[in-house]
Amino acid sequence: MNIRTPKDWELPEAAVTNESMYRLRNRRDFLRTLGAGLAGAALAPRGLFAATAGFPDKENPLYPAAALKPTAYEYITSYNNFYEFGTGKDDPAEYANKGWKTDPWTVELTGLIRSPGKFDVNDLVAKTGGIEQRVYRHRCVEAWSMVVPWDGFALAKLVALADPKPEAKYLKFTSFLDPKNAVGQQDSYLGWPYVEGLRMDEATNELAFIATGIYGKPIPNQNGAPLRLVTPWKYGFKGIKSIVKIEFTDKEPYNTWQRLAPNEYGFYANVNPKVDHPRWSQASERVIGAGLFAGRKDTLMFNGYEKQVAGLYKGLDLRKFF
Amino acid sequence: MEKLLRSKVFVWTLLVLPGLWPLVPLLRQDPTVGADPLKYILHHLGFVACILLATVLSFTPLRVIFPKSKLALALNRHRRLVGVGAFVYAALHLATHLVYEGGFHVLASDVKKPFLLTGLIAFAILLVLAVTSLHRLVRALGAKHWKWLHRLAYVAAGLAAYHQAAARKLFPVQVLWIFIPLALLEIARIMIQLSSQRRAAK
Repeated sequence: MNIRTPKDWELPEAAVTNESMYRLRNRRDFLRTLGAGLAGAALAPRGLFAATAGFPDKENPLYPAAALKPTAYEYITSYNNFYEFGTGKDDPAEYANKGWKTDPWTVELTGLIRSPGKFDVNDLVAKTGGIEQRVYRHRCVEAWSMVVPWDGFALAKLVALADPKPEAKYLKFTSFLDPKNAVGQQDSYLGWPYVEGLRMDEATNELAFIATGIYGKPIPNQNGAPLRLVTPWKYGFKGIKSIVKIEFTDKEPYNTWQRLAPNEYGFYANVNPKVDHPRWSQASERVIGAGLFAGRKDTLMFNGYEKQVAGLYKGLDLRKFF
Repeated sequence: MEKLLRSKVFVWTLLVLPGLWPLVPLLRQDPTVGADPLKYILHHLGFVACILLATVLSFTPLRVIFPKSKLALALNRHRRLVGVGAFVYAALHLATHLVYEGGFHVLASDVKKPFLLTGLIAFAILLVLAVTSLHRLVRALGAKHWKWLHRLAYVAAGLAAYHQAAARKLFPVQVLWIFIPLALLEIARIMIQLSSQRRAAK
């Protein structure tokens, strides 16, 4: 018999509160999607189904309980930072759904790797072995947080697929560029397209994740359709959305926010309650969806993932490399 | 229009309504506001305080630039009311900040950060100006001292503009459309006053 040791970040599917319980509106929409998804399941090959509908892999092993209460789907999908579609939290939900196409979508793997190529996002999911669900904490650099049930695959699987050469030390992620459909990109202040990066050992850490869905549904445009990076021990801006290119390189990528304000945002962006943002404290956070009278919650070192990632930063001065 | 603007009730209504505005998205259950309603209220109150401060400071230059306008005259009847309104919104904004951050202890760390310190100084100025707007204190100070003291309102406006801009990750354009018109009005007013002084000296 195969006995599996559960991971700390895992959560039983049964413990994830049904998304329809949280939704305030559009429940009928969800049921319709669910129906369409089930109908599609009978026709499509398994991997492809997982990618297109974003459904969790049912063969995902059982998860032990974790004390995380997922944020309502409605908040996750209407309180977004996605400056490609405007700087207001409500802008992405509106402007990312006005003609911007995320299907079909191609991702390019390039740089210091043995298997470069351009992949259709569905093929990529199939090649990495399908979809699983993970419930992660999400901490924004603006001192608010959510808990998101993501669907997707481990970034390490994509790295293995790319087969990096020994001199590849970093991954440089690039988002899409489409000023015609992305109103925020019509202003040039941010220097589009958005760029992010990870060290190789960060990218192959078990937590690093590529999300293609939320709550078992395809990831909405405003959350970074059709695939985005999720690094739960880092501030949210590291989680680059709508990725079109992943380049393996020997140089540390100069990420968008670092370029904009190097005194405020660094390459690492690890969640750290002891290192303040120059303008506000990072010691605590507001919990999205907790209501008008909810207080703050203490922010955890590495957002509560110290056990998994602290080893990556041994000997690194976290005040200097923030 | 001018008659309406002379009315205290009308101006009071204009001052109170923005404070009730957050009820609209809250009752409509707008999910973007509902995600962190207190943050929305916090930003909204600060925003209204900035607008009222810029508005009240524009009254005098409007009167100087348009000396014959009855509208400008009507507005100048409400300088104290609108000024105290700006203070009240700033006070509500600060109170919300303290609740939002979880208590008075945050003030100790606030003073170390320029973003928060500028807001606190601007509030302190508005507090002094609101208190010295009482009839008795105006008389006690004497017109000359009162006028000099109340010029601190311009310092408060500058600090508030910085504070508002620093509240967001990127520079928010709304700061410009609140404070640039005021700056232009002030420049025009100073030029007019200087030229009339020169004429008087001749």
